[in-house]
Amino acid sequence: MTGDPAISGHGFSVQLPTAWEGRIYRRPPPTTAFTPKNRAAGSTGIAATQAPNGWLGEQTRAVVHLGNFALPAVRGDYGSGAVEKMIAENTFIALVEFGPECLGTALYGSVGLPRVSPDKFDPNGLQRRLPGQSGCQYFFTEQSRPMCLYVVLGSHRQVSPLSAQVNQVLDRIKVDAP
Amino acid sequence: MTVLIVLLTVVVLVLCVLVAGLLRAYATVLARLHQLDGSPDHAADHGAGTGTVTKVSAPPFRTADGVMPLDRGDTGRSAPRQTAAGRAEWVAAHDIVGQGLSGEVVSVRTVAVAHDSVIVFLSSGCSGCTTFWEQLADRRGLAAVGDSRVVVVTKSPEDESPSVLRQLCPPDVDLVMSSSAWADYDVPGSPYVIVVDGGTGRVKGEGSGTSLTQISGLMQQAYGDGASFGGRRRVVKPRADAEREVDVDRALLAAGIGPGHASLYAPSTSAEAPVLDPAVSAATQPAHRRLDLLDAREGNGR
Repeated sequence: MTGDPAISGHGFSVQLPTAWEGRIYRRPPPTTAFTPKNRAAGSTGIAATQAPNGWLGEQTRAVVHLGNFALPAVRGDYGSGAVEKMIAENTFIALVEFGPECLGTALYGSVGLPRVSPDKFDPNGLQRRLPGQSGCQYFFTEQSRPMCLYVVLGSHRQVSPLSAQVNQVLDRIKVDAP
Repeated sequence: MTVLIVLLTVVVLVLCVLVAGLLRAYATVLARLHQLDGSPDHAADHGAGTGTVTKVSAPPFRTADGVMPLDRGDTGRSAPRQTAAGRAEWVAAHDIVGQGLSGEVVSVRTVAVAHDSVIVFLSSGCSGCTTFWEQLADRRGLAAVGDSRVVVVTKSPEDESPSVLRQLCPPDVDLVMSSSAWADYDVPGSPYVIVVDGGTGRVKGEGSGTSLTQISGLMQQAYGDGASFGGRRRVVKPRADAEREVDVDRALLAAGIGPGHASLYAPSTSAEAPVLDPAVSAATQPAHRRLDLLDAREGNGR
């Protein structure tokens, strides 16, 4: 494969910039539901294949992960497992789709894939606060698909150049109608 | 007396025959072990360097300039370095795009990145891959790989058995099913390992072996004794200089200009001494030099 690769799947397509890699996935419907007792069990190793893998009645949706670093094999939808590996120059983008029941709600009222603004990033905007990092979250609807855009920057000090880089990547994302 | 001498002579002759037989058997065992180990000498007898995996012996792990093979002797010296016969320069690497075991669309970067990549080509049906699968589950088997990223690549789902792969592959191991990657890297069979230099975007080692430990041991020796830096000491540079050079390298790589690029060697039309362009100077430095800089930068940045 020569040149910058493009990936597509689950109604998303991305032309990846240099040094960026991506994953598009949809977790399979859970076969074994979480309970308070088994929630933390078997999260790694071979046991993970038999471990509970979702909540009872959960309906999974497409998730897009993009980053300019080596994305690990096991990641949470909002990047847990990946953001810990970031250095200052790295950026992580998660695009998480929600169900049609969210359509028309106030939270997802904004239409179109947003572009990030440096002033929206905050170290307290992270799912779990990590030294030096900052994050932000946007809720919106694109092609009648309600979504959440979650972005993590490796260094809050470099918020301007990194957020500009994020917007360049967002320009390359296409979302298909359901 | 004569009878005694004759008897002793016969006994000595019988013992000589026995010792000779034992030595021969021992030599046969050693030769067999040598064969299983994929030694250079044996491989040379079986067409090493041709890039073909035979049933008799997999090709030995061969490495780019600066990476030394594992010392198999007891002399305390490294064995002669193997180089890729007939290849003046190692081939360009390729990014990998494929599918994960759960249907995930996956893109893995191996070119123009700060880390090296160890790409392990395996399949669900090959008996020689069993040890690799077992060692992928055991992190100690990967310790020698160091900071390099390990990616397992199998053929695409239509040519593989995803259900068997799910049982074989540990969940925290990056697995990409991509027949195009096999074609891009011209993989002769499985198991096969390719090491990609992320900075230069070129392959710097490839071959087969009996286990991941064997191959990673070779890599560890290469990196550990400084051989990957051509045996030279690291030059300690100011951080700003190192960062500047890395940035220039990245810009050149992004523009498709790598080591050996024709534009870097354009003949000068001026009779005056050429002005040294720091960007060009950085790009023409050997791969290990740039990796050195990348390492230095990472070390300072963390």
